[in-house]
Amino acid sequence: MTPVQPVILGEMPSLSKLYVNAAAQAARRRLMGTQDGSALPAESHEVRGVGVDVGNLTAYQHLIGETASDVLPAGFIHALAFPLAMSVLNRDDFPLPLLGMIHLRNSVQQLAPVLFTDVLDITAHVENLRGHRAGTQVDVVSEVRLAGSPDTCWRGVSTYLAKGVFLPGIDKPSPAPVRADFKAPDPTALWQLGVDTGRAYAAVSGDFNPIHLSVLSAKALGMRRSIAHGMYLASRALADVGAVRGDSFTWDVEFEAPVFLPCRVALDISSAAGTSGTWERSDFVAWNPRSGRRHFSGSVSLS
Amino acid sequence: MSIDGQTTTGPDEAGASAAASAPGLRRAVIVGGNRIPFARAGGAYAKSSNQDMLTAALDGLIARFGLQDERIGEVAAGAVLKHSRDFNLTREAVLGSALSPETPAYDLQQACATGLETVVGLSNKIKLGQIDSGIAGGVDSASDAPVVVSEGLREAILDLHRAKSLPQRLQILSRLRPKDLAPLAPGTSEPRTGLSMGEHQALTTSQWKVSREAQDELALNSHRNLAAAYDAGFFDDLLTPYRGLTRDGNLRADTSLEKLSGLKPVFGKNLGADATMTAGNSTPLTDGASTVLLASDEWADARDLPKLAAVVDAEAAAVDFVHGKDGLLMAPVFAVPRLLARQGLTLEDIDFFEIHEAFASTVLSILAAWEDEDFGRTRLGLDGAFGKIDRSRLNVNGSSLAAGHPFAATGGRIVASLAKTVHATARAEGRPVRGLVSVCAAGGLGVAAILESL
Repeated sequence: MTPVQPVILGEMPSLSKLYVNAAAQAARRRLMGTQDGSALPAESHEVRGVGVDVGNLTAYQHLIGETASDVLPAGFIHALAFPLAMSVLNRDDFPLPLLGMIHLRNSVQQLAPVLFTDVLDITAHVENLRGHRAGTQVDVVSEVRLAGSPDTCWRGVSTYLAKGVFLPGIDKPSPAPVRADFKAPDPTALWQLGVDTGRAYAAVSGDFNPIHLSVLSAKALGMRRSIAHGMYLASRALADVGAVRGDSFTWDVEFEAPVFLPCRVALDISSAAGTSGTWERSDFVAWNPRSGRRHFSGSVSLS
Repeated sequence: MSIDGQTTTGPDEAGASAAASAPGLRRAVIVGGNRIPFARAGGAYAKSSNQDMLTAALDGLIARFGLQDERIGEVAAGAVLKHSRDFNLTREAVLGSALSPETPAYDLQQACATGLETVVGLSNKIKLGQIDSGIAGGVDSASDAPVVVSEGLREAILDLHRAKSLPQRLQILSRLRPKDLAPLAPGTSEPRTGLSMGEHQALTTSQWKVSREAQDELALNSHRNLAAAYDAGFFDDLLTPYRGLTRDGNLRADTSLEKLSGLKPVFGKNLGADATMTAGNSTPLTDGASTVLLASDEWADARDLPKLAAVVDAEAAAVDFVHGKDGLLMAPVFAVPRLLARQGLTLEDIDFFEIHEAFASTVLSILAAWEDEDFGRTRLGLDGAFGKIDRSRLNVNGSSLAAGHPFAATGGRIVASLAKTVHATARAEGRPVRGLVSVCAAGGLGVAAILESL
């Protein structure tokens, strides 16, 4: 789907303003009732000439455990594009409430390496509004190009669920897929995540969503404790796969049970080689070593 | 052999070349090198760790020579200012790089000689047939230096860990004084003398009567030679940009004798008007990393890689500086004559000299000692002076005064540059070309090595 008309923003929108605005919008909709139909905004949002702060990049790489090279980690680009993606969800004509949406899955195609010295054009749009057994889901698509270039070097699709929101005209919720029982393998790594994990990732990613920051701010939004950012977890798994992934790859993750902080997370990464003996893909799965509940799973594979 | 002399002819002297031509030993060759530009402390790499920089230099080398997923025989590197959590610094850098994770690695530390010693150690393993390839290197960050707690606090923390009861814990805590809580930044003072390296060198400078003018001139040449080398593209295949730096941050291409002579002395200020060492003719604190790819002929040939030079031989020396018998940084004065004697060579047989510029006056003091008749007889056990170096063959592409000196990274910088220089000169002149590296180090240490063009 090619959106009709990009809306060019003068600069990267401020996430904190977006969150405040989203809260105000939620209150307004509660008072006025949801007025909108079931159509997504056709317009994409675009910011041109985006640069990277190298100090922020280094701090991100140190936190995630990525090699501190001049190449931007795929998860860093996600964080870079995130405010623009949120700005599309924050539009008045976007039919779902932004606050409280749950990140179900994320798929990134890193098509070419991006250096911190590169200047970037970033676009974001929404597509594929569809039913879910627990509500309505939607894809937010972000694309990054070197400034002035037509070629996409990074493309991310984030799928969000608006839980309990059912829009007229959207497919009936499908029945829950039958999931095979998860049997935890032997872990290859064990992460100790402190209570400050959410704050530390917020500081390098700019995503100060209150559900990640502290017990109090999370409780205010109905969570029993603060939870780790999904993209923090997925980015650490990507870093764990290491340099073998090369410069271009596909990185998929599906989120399940949230990671309440503080906690320990067990991780298993298994890699597979192709017929020539070179790396082809690494699959990862993470779970709670006490309860055995699966937190997330995914893969990094050759594009 | 005199009692206070470090004789040039040792008991193991075979009279002829040892390392290169000994039967059963094969050749160790330098394929090339890669470093990141060196940054002044607090500059472009202020937030970069030793592991970050070493990995960046390593990944540049891997990219240059197509070593992705390659299992290298061994990687050896080190850092002088190293945090205890970085006990496996080199192995961690390998794991973060594109090399095969099955590449072994070890850390080495010999103060400022670390980088050169990794080249020597891995070359010897190649010569012995223990490995076919090796990557030598070094890294240092003066910006991201480890800060340690005071001895009083450290002991209290360890005692607390062992304490079994609350009264014991309280008793331990009551020992602490406010001064124990102040963190300690790393210093460059010699543990046995309490003098900084600069103060030690100021004593040597004064002893050898090295003039301010001569020091400033050497510093100027370092900057001019380094700038010219950059302009000529010399570093195009020796360096990969990092964190926005494409040239060494300390390089002042436009400096002049006037500017250098206007600087105030910073070391040996107790000498009054005789103080000569300034910030301009001393190396600044620097961040950076370097790597060198070493191989056997077979390994390099099988991959169609260049062979720039052979690592012929090396010699370490140390001086008794503690009570001032020799200057702290004067060990190369003894290492080089011993090394050349073992190889049956003289200074005239060397085409290029790389004498690490810890301070301009370090180089000049070493040269003065070699030119001194009496020193040659009484300390080196020679018939007279060791000899004089043609200054036009000294540090021809600039050295540490201009490039900066991230301690453990300097050896790799020099070896890769010198290997390229002897190789290019040999190609141009159609004859074998030799180069000599000498690096002085804290603790009165020095290491020297000979490279020969291929």
